[in-house]
Amino acid sequence: MSEMKPSISSGRKFTAVWIVPLVALVIGLSMGIHHFMTQGPTITIDFKTAESLQGGKTKVRLLNVDIGVVESVALKENISGVTATVKLGPEARPLLHEDTRFWVVRPRVGAGGVSGLSTLLGGTYIEMSPGTGSDKQREFVGLEEPPQTPLDAPGVRLTLLSKRAGSLSVGESVVFRGYNVGRIESMEFDEKGRQVRYDIFVDAPFHKLINSNTRFWNVSGISLTASAEGFQVEMGTMDTLLLGGVAFDAPPGLRPGSAVDNGREYHLYESYDDILKNPYTYGLYYVVSFSQSVRGLEPGAPVEYRGIPIGRVERILLKELTANNLSKVITAEGLSKENSTAGQAIPVLIYLEPARMALPDNQESIVALKQAIEGGVPKGLRATLMTGNLLTGKQLVNVDFFPEEEPAELGAFEQYVTIPTIETGVGRLENQLRSFLDRLDALPLEETVAGVNKVLGTADNSLSSLTETLDSVNNIVDSDDSRRLSSELVATLGELRSALTGIAPDSEMYQGLGATITSLNGSLENLDALIRKVSDKPNSLIFPSSPEMDPIPEARP
Amino acid sequence: MSETHATATSRGLASCHLCLKLVDSQRHHCPRCGASVHLRKADSIQRTLALLIAASILYIPANLMPIMITDQLGVSIESTIIGGVLLLIDMGSYAIAAVIFIASVMVPSGKLLTMYYLCWSVRHASPDTVNQRTITYRITEFIGRWSMIDVFVVAVLVALIHIDNILVIRPGAATIAFASVVMISMVAAESFDPRMMWDQVEDSDE
Repeated sequence: MSEMKPSISSGRKFTAVWIVPLVALVIGLSMGIHHFMTQGPTITIDFKTAESLQGGKTKVRLLNVDIGVVESVALKENISGVTATVKLGPEARPLLHEDTRFWVVRPRVGAGGVSGLSTLLGGTYIEMSPGTGSDKQREFVGLEEPPQTPLDAPGVRLTLLSKRAGSLSVGESVVFRGYNVGRIESMEFDEKGRQVRYDIFVDAPFHKLINSNTRFWNVSGISLTASAEGFQVEMGTMDTLLLGGVAFDAPPGLRPGSAVDNGREYHLYESYDDILKNPYTYGLYYVVSFSQSVRGLEPGAPVEYRGIPIGRVERILLKELTANNLSKVITAEGLSKENSTAGQAIPVLIYLEPARMALPDNQESIVALKQAIEGGVPKGLRATLMTGNLLTGKQLVNVDFFPEEEPAELGAFEQYVTIPTIETGVGRLENQLRSFLDRLDALPLEETVAGVNKVLGTADNSLSSLTETLDSVNNIVDSDDSRRLSSELVATLGELRSALTGIAPDSEMYQGLGATITSLNGSLENLDALIRKVSDKPNSLIFPSSPEMDPIPEARP
Repeated sequence: MSETHATATSRGLASCHLCLKLVDSQRHHCPRCGASVHLRKADSIQRTLALLIAASILYIPANLMPIMITDQLGVSIESTIIGGVLLLIDMGSYAIAAVIFIASVMVPSGKLLTMYYLCWSVRHASPDTVNQRTITYRITEFIGRWSMIDVFVVAVLVALIHIDNILVIRPGAATIAFASVVMISMVAAESFDPRMMWDQVEDSDE
């Protein structure tokens, strides 16, 4: 037996059979590695509901290429939604980042059209929009609505802020002069800022149209406004009329600003008119106080200089007025006749924008405007109320020079500078009428009437004496002498006529006179010749005149 | 136990592995068929262990990877062995689940573990347990072939169900791994020489 021992121990040496487990190891490892390599990442996506999501069936697609499948759908712990566990293919590995987005594609019928019809037959699926970041992520929150634009689409993403939600909704157009250049991607109410945020996307190359001075406004529906300029109806294209939309443009007279990046915030104006009213950045506040009715003067009413708009009415400072001297205001109403300058004047805050006067929209223009007003007031610059529209009764503030007015100075109300005012229009007419009536009222009418009565009494006496006089005149006229007088007068006139007949043209005397005058004329002509002779040769009266010899032409040698 | 233990070894005889002729154990070659003569199978424990380890390694992918891929209307479902069992339990088919579980999980793993134990027991176990171990070996050898049931099921399904675009069943990578596990473990059981267990008893008697 002892010689058997070595044969057993010899079995302990390494034999070729160990290749088998090595090969098995290699095969097993290669299978594992291959499996791992072909295995994509598993991610979770949170949705609000699991509507039409089925574990093991619902596909995840990227540009309609299957890249994964939903493995299971489970409720969240707090029942606030569902979590879908998704197994993606290995090709999806480099696409998962923080900004990767997932949403369920279902058939949708909306104002913007019908989408996702193919899912009626093929079943719903989850669409993926690849991210571009550098960080890896495995947990995502799915979008409830499909995003309007792919994340990497060329263009610019902007945010519009509005006080009202208006009639805009997701998917509606962004138009530039009626041409569709983008869309509203999402909207949400920002409860901190108490305003609505719209995320919009403007496609390339139209995003180059947008700069820091661009203004956005709502073109939804029809807007009807009544202002000092009359009624105005505005409506956009048929598309935006039905669906709503946002338009943008550069306000007239404003230079293009700098280019913009993604995420810039803009104010969304209510209408284009709203922009025209507030297109400028720099402005200056003044207060004008009116002692007359400010009915029809509304915030936004224009402030004009000789008909050129230079600003707008901001508001009536009623709060500041009543807070300071309510008693004055009330008593002043009753005392206005006696004390018309007591503090009952209504302060109106106006906002002047130098850029409206073709000045550059900057701080220097503000200073220039301030100086112009300071210099203008001593020369008669005054603010007045004017009725802008007789139909609607809207008023506006007019600023103009009234050199005949009493000199006044700039005042102050609260923190504002006040521009002196004068009353015009109906208010002024009213005042003038009132003062005229006051003066009329002050006239001593009764005394005058008494005086007139006295005068009339005297006149009565005079009239009776006049009657007597006339009677005596009558008597005189009726007397025989006066009758005789008239017949004598007739006789005298007859003699005068016969006398005049003597010097009539066909009378002898007239003809004799004519002959006399003719001979006198002849004598005068002779006299004329004599006078000429005497003047030529004064001594001709004394010396006889020798006739002048005719000149004889001489011949030259 | 004296007569019963009069073994061939103690008489200086060995059995030829090829033609089973009793040969003088001192001879190197069988006089009848010319094959090498060993008293016991050469490197039996080492071979068995190596094959067992290989089978164990392959047993991991056999369970983790899908054994069957069902393409149903474009939706492809991969199922592993355990997954299939759990699915059957979910569906309430406990009997079928039990059959699959026993045939596909318990039997192969039990066989591997048993073989490990037998290899270990040749050197270290108490000789008193030799009868139980003999029975264990016999059972292992008997049921080992049945653990291929899973592979057979897959093979049959793949062959039978092939309706293009509607329902197609494809074998998964685990099928090969699982078949390898079963085959290698069968070879391992074959290469194990049970006589070594009884040699131990003989040695302890001496």
